[in-house]
Amino acid sequence: MCVTGRRATAVLAVVFGVPGVAGLLALVPGLDLQTSIVLCVGALLLAGMAATNRDPMGTDVAPPAVGRRYVRELVVTMTAYVLVLAASLWLLKRVDPPLLRALVALAPLLPIWLAVRAVLRYMRALDEMQQRIELESLGIATVVVSMLYMTGGLLQSAGLFQVPGEDAMIWVFPLISGVYGIARGVVARRYE
Amino acid sequence: MKSRVRELREARGWSQAQLGERLEVSRQTVNAIETGKYDPSLPLAFRIAALFDTCIESIFFPEASE
Repeated sequence: MCVTGRRATAVLAVVFGVPGVAGLLALVPGLDLQTSIVLCVGALLLAGMAATNRDPMGTDVAPPAVGRRYVRELVVTMTAYVLVLAASLWLLKRVDPPLLRALVALAPLLPIWLAVRAVLRYMRALDEMQQRIELESLGIATVVVSMLYMTGGLLQSAGLFQVPGEDAMIWVFPLISGVYGIARGVVARRYE
Repeated sequence: MKSRVRELREARGWSQAQLGERLEVSRQTVNAIETGKYDPSLPLAFRIAALFDTCIESIFFPEASE
């Protein structure tokens, strides 16, 4: 399979966007508003990356074989994630025993872990300067999202607003991933 | 850090991508080294020196002493 990172990112935007929009319009039974919003925001971010970034998946800076494997693994695992998530939400409405519910609820973590593994393998195959760019970007994403949550936590302790814990927790990973993606573009420019 | 990497590469008629392939780094990394935006690690500097058949000191120079 020969696809560029840019095309693959556009494909993923559709994979996230179609169920996201369908969920917003209440066309998918079991897909709640919160999840639909996460999917839609993810789709918008991916579409933005495909439209503005020449090399959204960073395949240009990796050895060709590594880049191709990375794109293939990301498309497969993220598509699997959306499917498993939909199946998991559908099943949660029909399954009662607590242990089974926990397993069904955690099922989407498996494709996410496979995607994380693909990212780690890709990073290990990069050269020393590219690894440094990844490290700096990851550091920036961690600090930005931590500070955002600390700001929210302090304001919430002061009783100024109230965000339910489950909403806050589900956003940590998408936020870190999003800020990481943006930071990578900015950090890489310093070495151009 | 200043370097003679570009000069040595061009003398051999290689593109940045071709030099990158020989050093097993990306074209972007070769470019950053040539423009002084990235200082290579000691092992990579030794690989560069070995490729051009010379010593590190004749390729890389600290900014001040240039």
